[in-house]
Amino acid sequence: MLPLLWLSRRGPRDLAPWLAAAADAAGLVLLLQFAPRVFAGEVIAWRMDWVASLGLALSFRLDGLAFLFALLILLIGLLVILYARYYLSEESRLDRFFFLLMLFTGAMLGIVLSGNLLLMFVFWELTSISSFLLIGYKSGKTEAREGARVALAVTGGGGLALLAGVLLLGHVAGSFELDAVLASGEAVKQSALYLPILALVLAGAFTKSAQFPFHFWLPGAMAAPTPVSAYLHSATMVKAGVFLLARLYPVLAGPDAWFFTLTAVGVVTLTFGAYQAIFRHDLKSLLAYSTVSHLGLITLLLGIGTPLGAVAALFHVINHATFKASLFMAAGIIDHETGTRDMRRINGLWRYMPYTGLLAAVAAAAMAGVPLVNGFLSKELFFGEALMLERGGGLQWILPLIAVLGGVFSVAYSLRFIHDVFFLDRPLDVERTPHEPPVWMRIPVEVLVAACLLVGVLPSFTVQPLLEASAAATVGGPAPEFSLRLWHGVNVPLVMSAIALGGGVLLYFLLQYGLDLHTHVQSRNTAKRLFDRTIVALSTAAARLTQRAYAGGLTSGVLALILAASFAGLFPFLRGKGAIGSLATAPVEPMALVVFALMCVSALGSVFVHRQRLIAVIVVSVVGLTVALAFVYFSAPDLALTQISVEVVTILLLLLALYYLPQEAPPERAVNRALRDFFLGCLAGGGVGWLTWAMLTRPHDSISGYFIANSVPQGGGTNVVNVILVDFRGFDTYGEITVIGIAALGIAAMLGGVKLPWRQADEAGRSWAPEAAHLPLALLVRLLLPLALLVSAFLFLRGHNDPGGGFIAGLVTAVALILLYLGAGLEWTRQRLAVNYRAVAAAGLLIAGATGLIAMLGFDLPFLTSAHGYVHWPVVGKVPLASAMGFDLGVYLTVVGAVMLALTRLGEAGLPFSAKRPEA
Amino acid sequence: MNQWIIAPVLLPAVVAGGLMLAGSVVTLRVQRVLGLLATAVLLAIALVLLDQAAGGSQGVYTLGHWRPPFGIALVLDRLSAVMLALTAALALCALVAAVAGGVDAQGRYFHALFQFQLMGLNGAFLTGDLFNLFVFFEVLLIASYCLLLTGSTPARLRAGLHYVVVNLVGSSLFLIAVGLLYAMTGTLNLADLAHKVPLLAAEDRLLVESAALLLLTVFGLKAALFPLLLWLPSAYSAAAAPVAALFAIMTKVGIYSIVRVYVTVFGPAAGEAAPGLGDWVVPAGLITVVWGALGALASRRLGSMAAHLTLMSAGTILSVAALTTGPAVSAALYYLLHSTLATALLFLVCGAVAERRGALGDRLQRAGAAQPVPLGIAFLLSVMLVVGIPPLSGFLGKAMLLQGSAAAPQAVAIWAVLLASSFVALIALARAGMTLFWAVRAAPAPPSRAGEMAAPMLLLAGMLALTVAAEPVKRFMDATAAQLGDVRSYSEAVLNAPGRP
Amino acid sequence: MELLVAIGIGTLTAAGVYLLLRERTFSVLLGLTLLSYAVNLFVFATGRLQVGAAPRIQPGVETYADPLAQALVLTAIVISFAMTAFTVVLAIAARHRLDDDRASPSAEQDDA
Repeated sequence: MLPLLWLSRRGPRDLAPWLAAAADAAGLVLLLQFAPRVFAGEVIAWRMDWVASLGLALSFRLDGLAFLFALLILLIGLLVILYARYYLSEESRLDRFFFLLMLFTGAMLGIVLSGNLLLMFVFWELTSISSFLLIGYKSGKTEAREGARVALAVTGGGGLALLAGVLLLGHVAGSFELDAVLASGEAVKQSALYLPILALVLAGAFTKSAQFPFHFWLPGAMAAPTPVSAYLHSATMVKAGVFLLARLYPVLAGPDAWFFTLTAVGVVTLTFGAYQAIFRHDLKSLLAYSTVSHLGLITLLLGIGTPLGAVAALFHVINHATFKASLFMAAGIIDHETGTRDMRRINGLWRYMPYTGLLAAVAAAAMAGVPLVNGFLSKELFFGEALMLERGGGLQWILPLIAVLGGVFSVAYSLRFIHDVFFLDRPLDVERTPHEPPVWMRIPVEVLVAACLLVGVLPSFTVQPLLEASAAATVGGPAPEFSLRLWHGVNVPLVMSAIALGGGVLLYFLLQYGLDLHTHVQSRNTAKRLFDRTIVALSTAAARLTQRAYAGGLTSGVLALILAASFAGLFPFLRGKGAIGSLATAPVEPMALVVFALMCVSALGSVFVHRQRLIAVIVVSVVGLTVALAFVYFSAPDLALTQISVEVVTILLLLLALYYLPQEAPPERAVNRALRDFFLGCLAGGGVGWLTWAMLTRPHDSISGYFIANSVPQGGGTNVVNVILVDFRGFDTYGEITVIGIAALGIAAMLGGVKLPWRQADEAGRSWAPEAAHLPLALLVRLLLPLALLVSAFLFLRGHNDPGGGFIAGLVTAVALILLYLGAGLEWTRQRLAVNYRAVAAAGLLIAGATGLIAMLGFDLPFLTSAHGYVHWPVVGKVPLASAMGFDLGVYLTVVGAVMLALTRLGEAGLPFSAKRPEA
Repeated sequence: MNQWIIAPVLLPAVVAGGLMLAGSVVTLRVQRVLGLLATAVLLAIALVLLDQAAGGSQGVYTLGHWRPPFGIALVLDRLSAVMLALTAALALCALVAAVAGGVDAQGRYFHALFQFQLMGLNGAFLTGDLFNLFVFFEVLLIASYCLLLTGSTPARLRAGLHYVVVNLVGSSLFLIAVGLLYAMTGTLNLADLAHKVPLLAAEDRLLVESAALLLLTVFGLKAALFPLLLWLPSAYSAAAAPVAALFAIMTKVGIYSIVRVYVTVFGPAAGEAAPGLGDWVVPAGLITVVWGALGALASRRLGSMAAHLTLMSAGTILSVAALTTGPAVSAALYYLLHSTLATALLFLVCGAVAERRGALGDRLQRAGAAQPVPLGIAFLLSVMLVVGIPPLSGFLGKAMLLQGSAAAPQAVAIWAVLLASSFVALIALARAGMTLFWAVRAAPAPPSRAGEMAAPMLLLAGMLALTVAAEPVKRFMDATAAQLGDVRSYSEAVLNAPGRP
Repeated sequence: MELLVAIGIGTLTAAGVYLLLRERTFSVLLGLTLLSYAVNLFVFATGRLQVGAAPRIQPGVETYADPLAQALVLTAIVISFAMTAFTVVLAIAARHRLDDDRASPSAEQDDA
């Protein structure tokens, strides 16, 4: 159905409405087929599993209550479709409108026909969404957007509460299937979760049905096109809430909480809504408040908790739907014909549209509770129930009074609607001359009004079986005895009706002529304003919080991390125990003490001079040197070599960076910031130092024993560290060279995208030389290069057995090449050494991968499986060779390529354009 | 030897290496074809692996043919297979979006970097060795730095600096934690750690607990757990939309690491050495959710709103997963799948919207250009998915989370926060949607560009599948959670894998 | 001896952290460098400290320094180096695009 409508977008204008009408009618026919079985008391079900883990199944269930609502939805839907076809203006996109309308209808039917509570919730939210889209249909208008937004917020929020309630309910009942839930009524009412469930479900129901204090979205929703208001916001969607209450009646109704909450809310809503309605100037707004009031009435009836009350509630559902829908349609007709809905401007329309006026009058009479129309009957039932109420802790006498008061108000506003619009003898303030609407627009109204009359005059023939079936389904047992006759004799309810009628008429005319209603300034929608203000306050608070948090930028991020880490790392020790181990410590040698002192002094020194950047770099390099010395001292020659070579390149990098950055930084002003950071530094340093100390005083037993034992026999090398790197844990190294490669790539990408300025001199006036000036240095480096390369090769080849290896060799080569650039000049070197370093690095990565792949593809062994043996070279003799050397070659190339790429690009980046090499 | 297991790491590595080697010798067009092809093949491989893992036993790949714990092992179980498949699927969609939107031309070597990123992600998900996890974390981090900085625009440079420095500090912390664990247990292999940690003497356990908490901090940084979330909004909103979409999986790496390391090494068997994951992570996760929701509400730019919603979903997953019961973990996993795709979709849609608005970009101000209808529908659907409105997978996921956490002591707090934050997100997104799509200059809606909707359609299709096939997926996640908790079978599989000697 | 090492590592960390929290990017870089030295020493120390042990397998020698810890440190040194290089270039690029070399340059007006 829905896809068809989408396709109809390009078709003739009328296609969409006809499709919609056809679908609706088909549904209606289908429904009516089940009527006899439903009336006999049977429950028809259909089920398909969807997400069994959740308890969510596609199950549908048709009983009396569902039937009643489904009938309402489909019947009134059909009429609304017809009405809308003629109401909507020429430019509107009909297909989009009917698509949304059908979507809504489907969702609404889903709610009433669901046999699974979770599924019902799914449809519940779908109605909120489609209602949102329909209210905002004329999205260009501000009030449409406003109304849609508020509606979505309130019904969406209520929906979330309902979800929680449904989940809890399912938990208590053991299943979400309605049959199971309805059967577990006693269990639910006894359970400790009863109150939370009730509160949450009521939140959902009250938001949907616009009960006080959640009523404020409904008047705003009147910005929707009138057919939407007629359908959704009078007859169907807002009824979903009371439907839910009726559906869950056997499970939730009875206890005091139910009784008092519902009656209280119902009473307040009933009177508040009715009172407000009298003073509205907008036709639809009046009807909206009236809807609120009538829904309050239904809520009240359900709250009372007697079976007859349920019957009355359901009866009023039907009646209200029929007369309210027709009134909305009438209002739409008036709007369509006069161009306005403001009752202050529309007066005396009887002259122009008497027939419409007659229809409206009948419907309004139903709204007021005038005899001979259906509204009267349900009002009578209401009055009767109000009188017979026994519960209420002594306050039950209030109810009949409120009932009458409500009646008075409803008469007053009904009269206002008719009298003010059609009969009031004031000037007519509209642009065009109104006349009767096209026939097809009137027909739906006629049908509905006819229904009002019919039910009002002959209730037992028309509506009795339906009410019996639905009431039985609601109450969960046989239907109570009741008789719907027009005349029960002169009893108190009749008297109450009479009082209401009289009082209402009196009130209206008093207000209209005494106080001059037209000049009444409309009270603003306080509840809505409260809601809006809350949202705005929340937004502003949120904004302020986040702005403050993000204002610190990088530093606050690091700060948070350091704090969290310090806390995390030290937390276990807060509980007391020292955790220092018992291992004896080694003695201190004087040399070590000196190096240690140098390290600490330089580290602290760097803190003090960090603003004089050149000096700071030198101081940091001293620290690095001491670290390398520490490595030597503690028997880690590979590490020392690596540390020194990395150190050299890093310092070179930092110095190069100083070309582009200011060499001195201004002092920072905040003293307490420095103090805070000092404290943090001590905390972090102390923490790490503590952990180190705790760790070092414990004995150590690790898997390295295996590596030591197997390095020669299995790995083919005596330098265990290197064997671990390229063989045992070669995958780590593979990842590591990938990191190097990516870094180089990223550096190249960044420098390709940023134009760096060419500096001739730094701040102190010392000039930067783009070319080498110092001849001896140039000569020296040119001689040094082959030597350095030889050293690299040596380091590379011996790496497997002695300190050395791919990394170190690569770094040595890189340093040598850099010295060449530095000494001999960029231009000279570039002319002779036109190497695409990026390609070199990539080749390194691929070679490393290839050596690993050989084992995979050739021998079906895992990646990076190595082999080793001996090779006989003519002069040298037997040379041990391991396949891991190929891997090491890859490492070597990657390191050389990456480091050279980074440094040369950085060096070139600041040169004027002509000196730059075209990017490769 | 099941060579398939290492394919997700090797394939992107080789392709990336090749692309890096060729540089601009190959045209952008060829690079695109290669990149898309490689990613598609990766997805196929991931699905094959998923099928293998569904059999129920762990596949172990011993690199270098050295027996664990001496060699590095890659472990393919249900969880890692799921993460691999998710990454591949997401990557394909993101790459399609990048190509369609021309993002890959904004910066150099985009396709190579993209493949490297995938290599890092896959390696992290597969590895069974803690130090190897560190290495692959570094790989995926540096690739992400480069991808974030694509085009080197000022906003990206600024956000990038923050992101990079914070993560570098995090890496140092990672090293300290790993070092500490090695010092106390003498091993780096996860299964072996699981064996050795319970055997420690009482006074040694304190240090291990310290290391565990440090690891939590590091992984929490990646997962943007409070208070380590300050870097995310600026980074994700500055990134190009397809890159941000791919980054949806990055927080999940942190979540995965927390779950994997904690359940395996610091589970109930570890006794006193294990800090209670729930005590720390659940409150932090809930605060993250609240922060994300408030941040979304306060956002004046669409990208920032999407980033805060990412925060919300990451916090949601963690709060429930940290309960470590079977139903909770399985619900969290389903929601992880869903939210990754949903967040990616949101970023892509936001990117498309922002592009059409020209100078206004993604600022939430009125009177922008009108948007094409399919884009509006996509936006509506992404709102429904992210907030959790029925009937789509977002709702199913939320319902599962609520049910899964119902038995926990923190259930009330979790429920309240999850529902309230959904409400706030709904308001924020509805407001944004109305500003972008409804309060526009009156103009006929422009037609949608070719290819603009391709990646979003793919993502939507994926989530539709998640919705319809929710039951099988959930059951798979139940099995995954069960397998994850079965540490004994994990260690047995790993420590008995074939290898030398 | 061990105490000395612990104090040394602690001092390096403290200095590094202090510099990390400074306003200027360059100071942050220096801090990162110091921090990485500290962490490398830490990881090295996890293998426990052996003074003057043999650098490679020799017949007859029983005790060696922990090679695994050394391998880990080597990897860590190289990775940190790559990261440092990258960050230095990033800092330079940021400084020149944003015209501001503070670690947290002021954000645009409408960042949220």
